[in-house]
Amino acid sequence: MTTPLLERPPGREGPATAPRPGRRRVRTGRAALFVIMLGVAVVMLYPFWVMIFDSLKTEAQFLAGKGFSLGSWKALNSVIPVGQQVLSSTIICCASIIVIVLIGLPAGFAFSKLRFRTSTLIFLVIVSAMMVPLQAILMPEFVNITKLGLTSGYFGAVIVYAALGTPFSVFLFTTYFRGVPDELIEAGIVDGLGYFGVLWRLVVPIAVPAIATVTVLQFIQIWDDLLVGLLFIQNTSQRPITVGLAVLSAGRTTSIPELMAGSFISALPAMLVYLGFQRYLVKGLTMGIDR
Amino acid sequence: MSSATATAPRRRRLTLSRRRQLAGAVFALPAIGLVLGFIVVPIGQAVYYSMTQWDGVSSTWIGPSTWNQALHNPTLWTALRNNALLLLSVPFALGLPLAIAVLLHQRVAGWRIFRSIYFLPTAISWVVLGLVAQRFFAYQGTLNSIIHFFGFSHTNTNMLGYESTALSALGITFIFTMVGTNTMLFLTGLATLDPSLEEAARIDGAGRWRIFRYITLPHLSRFIQLAFVMTVIALFSALFSLIFVMTGGGPGYATTTMEFLIYQTGFNQGDFGTAALYGLILFILTAIVGVVQLRLIGADE
Amino acid sequence: MAEITFDGVTKIFGDDVRAVDDLTLHVADGEFMVLVGPSGCGKTTALRMLAGLEEITSGTLSIGGTIVNDVLPKDRDVAMVFQNYALYPHMSVAQNMGFALKVRHESKDEIARKVGEAAAILRLTDYLDRRPKALSGGQRQRVAMGRAIVRSPQAFLMDEPLSNLDAQLRVEMRLEIARIQRLLGVATVYVTHDQIEAMTMGDRVAVMRGGQLQQVDTPQDLYDHPANEFVAGFMGSPPMNLLRGGLENGADGAVVVLGAQRLAVPPRYNASHDLGLGGAVVVGIRPEDVEVLSGAEVAGSITTRVERREALGAEILVHLSLLDAEGTSAFVVNDAGAVVTRPSTLVAKMGPRAEVRVGDTLRVRFNPERFHFFAADSGVSLRQA
Repeated sequence: MTTPLLERPPGREGPATAPRPGRRRVRTGRAALFVIMLGVAVVMLYPFWVMIFDSLKTEAQFLAGKGFSLGSWKALNSVIPVGQQVLSSTIICCASIIVIVLIGLPAGFAFSKLRFRTSTLIFLVIVSAMMVPLQAILMPEFVNITKLGLTSGYFGAVIVYAALGTPFSVFLFTTYFRGVPDELIEAGIVDGLGYFGVLWRLVVPIAVPAIATVTVLQFIQIWDDLLVGLLFIQNTSQRPITVGLAVLSAGRTTSIPELMAGSFISALPAMLVYLGFQRYLVKGLTMGIDR
Repeated sequence: MSSATATAPRRRRLTLSRRRQLAGAVFALPAIGLVLGFIVVPIGQAVYYSMTQWDGVSSTWIGPSTWNQALHNPTLWTALRNNALLLLSVPFALGLPLAIAVLLHQRVAGWRIFRSIYFLPTAISWVVLGLVAQRFFAYQGTLNSIIHFFGFSHTNTNMLGYESTALSALGITFIFTMVGTNTMLFLTGLATLDPSLEEAARIDGAGRWRIFRYITLPHLSRFIQLAFVMTVIALFSALFSLIFVMTGGGPGYATTTMEFLIYQTGFNQGDFGTAALYGLILFILTAIVGVVQLRLIGADE
Repeated sequence: MAEITFDGVTKIFGDDVRAVDDLTLHVADGEFMVLVGPSGCGKTTALRMLAGLEEITSGTLSIGGTIVNDVLPKDRDVAMVFQNYALYPHMSVAQNMGFALKVRHESKDEIARKVGEAAAILRLTDYLDRRPKALSGGQRQRVAMGRAIVRSPQAFLMDEPLSNLDAQLRVEMRLEIARIQRLLGVATVYVTHDQIEAMTMGDRVAVMRGGQLQQVDTPQDLYDHPANEFVAGFMGSPPMNLLRGGLENGADGAVVVLGAQRLAVPPRYNASHDLGLGGAVVVGIRPEDVEVLSGAEVAGSITTRVERREALGAEILVHLSLLDAEGTSAFVVNDAGAVVTRPSTLVAKMGPRAEVRVGDTLRVRFNPERFHFFAADSGVSLRQA
């Protein structure tokens, strides 16, 4: 599939600077390109199409394959407590992100600007921890958190998410602060600040774009996660929405339209965050190899 | 010089550099504590518990023979084989996004909207994508509708229902889930390509394919490397949601990967010790990929 | 306002890198002191020690009579202007300028008044609400100055504040900074690698090299009486010509032997200089003191050939090589082990209309009032105090 597409004319060259004559050929090429892109768009929009159309049916209509109804949407809240689960997801997400930023930002500042003995080694250890998947340490982690009695509230999940997200946030903040000139910190010191003052009054305001990047990436990651919510939150009434959906789908008598309605609701917040902060997302993904 | 030193009052106060180091240590401490307590220590615990009989409450020391025993468990090898087979999806999870990124980079009318659409599934939970995929592959799902549309009205598939096809369905879903992220990476990479390079090559008489092969592709190599590492890591550690909602690891063990095996062994069979051991195997596998990644970051500094 | 005293100040980085070596320097109250030297000479380290950003390895540093070795930057009451300005990007111009006062808990009215005054001096009044990003290079530079001014500190410390500006703006800001410093009368230590800035701005100039202070003097005295070959070569553009030769006793007094040619030393230098006869010596002469003769041979002149010619519009610089007995060009001294690398040719300034071509043979004479003599081995000036 790759090769023929690449034969299409590069767009930015435009008819005026195109070395080859044949405006019509360029135009045909562009039209074909457009059609292909439209096709890809249909594929990428398929999940949304399924969620929306399958949810707008009753169970019977779904089995029959025709008809529309708002029935499953109306019944949704009686099947799973959507509102409560979205709230749980929100609480877990926000709390985790706050911890990740509060811990990662000062550490990133320290590793980039306030080098202390062994700081390079410690930084390497923390960055390496980015590679450790939760499953690799799942059993000890689960037992530790349970023994600490943290699975009865949100705390257990928040701590696990924070521990998993902190290495990345430390890495991102460190990389970001390396781009900030040392003189800015020194100017603050000469102006009369201590290091805590520098952190709070200069470094934090400067770090706003990095904070946004960490927030967006972690929000999507945590909002979409299943495993931590499944294991580290015992109380069914505090389940996040992904766990609610996964558990619901595992049930034998689940109505597919209702499941799709719930799926759509769960997908909405992350989509909005994503559309609103797209550029921070890209920045975060390519952090370290960009430029 | 020495007399000057003698006359200066040598109070051992906190000098600026000492304050800086102290502040650095204090600022880094919470992160160090969190990573140590909830990532590093559990790895150590896993090493210990992997050699015990452990149900989560009490453990009995057995010794290194547990490893010998575990490595002779055919289920482990099935899971590892499944992981290995899923690696076959990686070229597609990289190639398709590369093609899409190159397409987007042509800046056809409306490319910004297309870009947003292509990336949108990235925001959706893999739980939801798994549910949607289930609908796609189901007996009454979209896949069969498409097959019927093309005239094979008596052909019906049920890929998730058979051991022979379930893993392929999982792989296809995985490819779909990675398209957005990887396209985003490649598009960023293309945006950093200096257009004058392409122009220079064109003036030198290079055709489109040659420009792509000798200018664009080498420029993207770092991005392709990063995407490769991220994709492989996701393959080892992020399929849980998909498997959980799509197949539950089945039929049989057809879609049980390492990470799902850990979950099953620990929480369905209550064999925490073996699950911890499997975790370490997964850790070693990702560590290998991780070393590659660190090289990548290291090369940058 | 206060005086600043470096007394035997030394900075050693790591185990053995002496960035500043036994620096003793006094800056009087209200004085504009320029620290100048090539990169890596220790001038910036000296300034950072004064600011308190770098610890002092040994020696004492005092501001206003108080030893500040162990005093933190914030308690030193000095303001610093950084090379890259280090403006706080998230604050407006007014906030940038008032920040140090805010940190010190001064009242809002007081801050506004001081910022307003400083802005007026710096012609920044119209830009107070802008962010640094929305300012031109010159304006940013002025904000950096303003940040220092509002504090009315005991001393201004400036680290190459003009090096990020384009040439024309640099000339403008040079005068501007000097004007403001005179206006406020605050002791200022100004670091630069640009000898023109040093010459034009400083009340006195301290030339540094390899961590060591070479000479401190007023710009004119530095120019007229460099203490050693390095200072002679560093101050002035194009630099002083330095010719190595042997000192001999001729018929009419001392003579410097330059290859095959002999240059008579005007008798007046025997009294003022320590010219031990029979040794190697370096004769220095500034390009403007090289006179190109026309016509007949004059006593005390030497024969050269034009190797290069640079027309600068207002003048022509000619690079000359000394001729030896056979009339072939013998490149002058350039001994590898020398204290400074001496140019292999002699540079002379000629009028813009001078008709001179590469390859011409020229006779030149040195202004007898303007000879400099340096010891060939140490580079130290032979002038007696």
